[in-house]
Amino acid sequence: MTGAASITQEERDKKIREYLVYMENVTVRFGKVVALRDVNFSVKKNEVVGLLGDNGAGKSTLIKALNGYHQVDGGEIYFNGERTNFQSPRDARDVGIETAYQDLALVNLMSISRNFFLGRELVMGNRFFKFLDKRKMDEVAAHSLAEVGLRNIREMHETVNFLSGGERQAIAIGRASYFGAKLLILDEPTAALSVAETEWVLRLVSEAKEKGLSVIIITHNAYEAYEVSDRFVVLQHGKNYADLKREETNAKELIEVIAGRK
Amino acid sequence: MKGGIRLFYSRLLRVKEIGSLSGLLIIIIIFSLLSGKFLTRENFIGIFTITSELGIIAIGVCFLMIAGEFDLSVGSVFAVAPMIGALLGKIGVPMVGAFFVSLFASAVIGYFNGLIVIKTGIPSFIVTLGAMMFYRGVLLAVSGGFTITFMGEDTAFLDALGGKIFMGMRASGIWFIAATIIFSIVLNNTKYGNHVFAVGGNPGTAKALGINVNRVKLINFVLCSVMAGLAGFTMFGRFHSIDPTAGSLHELEAIASAVIGGALLTGGYGSIVGAFIGAFLIGVMRSGLILAGAPSYWYQGFIGVVLVISVIINTKIRKAVAG
Repeated sequence: MTGAASITQEERDKKIREYLVYMENVTVRFGKVVALRDVNFSVKKNEVVGLLGDNGAGKSTLIKALNGYHQVDGGEIYFNGERTNFQSPRDARDVGIETAYQDLALVNLMSISRNFFLGRELVMGNRFFKFLDKRKMDEVAAHSLAEVGLRNIREMHETVNFLSGGERQAIAIGRASYFGAKLLILDEPTAALSVAETEWVLRLVSEAKEKGLSVIIITHNAYEAYEVSDRFVVLQHGKNYADLKREETNAKELIEVIAGRK
Repeated sequence: MKGGIRLFYSRLLRVKEIGSLSGLLIIIIIFSLLSGKFLTRENFIGIFTITSELGIIAIGVCFLMIAGEFDLSVGSVFAVAPMIGALLGKIGVPMVGAFFVSLFASAVIGYFNGLIVIKTGIPSFIVTLGAMMFYRGVLLAVSGGFTITFMGEDTAFLDALGGKIFMGMRASGIWFIAATIIFSIVLNNTKYGNHVFAVGGNPGTAKALGINVNRVKLINFVLCSVMAGLAGFTMFGRFHSIDPTAGSLHELEAIASAVIGGALLTGGYGSIVGAFIGAFLIGVMRSGLILAGAPSYWYQGFIGVVLVISVIINTKIRKAVAG
């Protein structure tokens, strides 16, 4: 609803400086399909933002544009005051953006600790030969996962295939906080979870905020989003539709907004 | 006590090679009962020689399969590399130089296979099937279908690759064992190996976590092809000649070795030591059937049966320990 054009240059500079994420007029195309058109999106430091919208609204595309999975066709993205030009999610991870995708968080046939350290393996050895420090990886993974409430796991070299949906999310969240993420992006974290596990994951989101992280939580469940978010951004058909503070709204109203009735 | 046995059992199943290893032992026992000449040192040295050439290919194929791709052109590369070596040798190029040129050519073939797969998104099965036919055609055209023999005096290097070293054992066996150890360590104990598993297991996740999926695949295509070239050269070291049809069906036997050894056709799971055992099992069957007096036609049929049985067993074990 609020376009970038409506703010002054001074305000814009201030936002870029102070916000953790500042995305302006972001456009992403897939061939002829425009997935995102001039979308503005921001996240303050230590803020939990619920990114809402119906299927196909462009929620996942927006976060994939932010974390370097997709390249943008237009617009500017700032993270921590710096203009970003992420070529891959690797660059985004390096500056502290960790993403836990609904379906892309873990490699099923790999062990818990190998998943935990995937892309950031601990190695030991000399300049020429470097080997995985498996013992250390197991220890660190076990310790970090206990912190997110994953205590009943027997062995770190067991594959993640046997874990429940909640346990898998906990690994992704534990991994993010261990690697010192500033921003945690959760893509439909509660999609296939039981009630108890949903509560657990939402509690982890609140804990992440207490630790000083910012969180983007993508969901189409307005009630869950309302429980943990400070602000709600609603997309529709690849465009900004609404931007509401928690105080200004309630879960019922959010549902109406997501559905486009309000 | 019962818990202890169960723990031991679950630990044992966790060894990826357990299926192929037990299969190998069972088959060795059967053949040694069928023929008194089977369980002799000479016979096993003979088996090991045949196994080495197939096995070196199988290691590369397995490494690539774990990254989620196929290479059916390895059988053709197996003949292309020594063919280049023999032709260069004939015009007076020292064998060491010819060897490295051949391996480089193998690497280039692998690189193009990988590049086409990555850039076009066509399944590697199709791309490398085309490559297999293409390079075999080139081989037949260049050689006119005749065996090319290298009669040069410069054979010390060839001996180091495929000649006899001690007790009738050939150098290729050493390369086979060395390659198994090196690839196994890289796969299980290095960062790169972890990325190979991830790329084959779930390329989307690998990409999302910052792994350069295409780079890993490309490197594995190159390594796979180089191993096939190396294997071809060890055979050249044995015969000092190269038949343009050499290596036909080796691509399928190499895949069979990897699969018997526990590798998953869809990627993300497998073992280099398993591929070693798989190749050895195929060599054992070939030798065992001959010694047992079975007509040699039975060989392929037998491998087919063993292949399917071992995949059934491997799948059951994998489901139990890895889900």
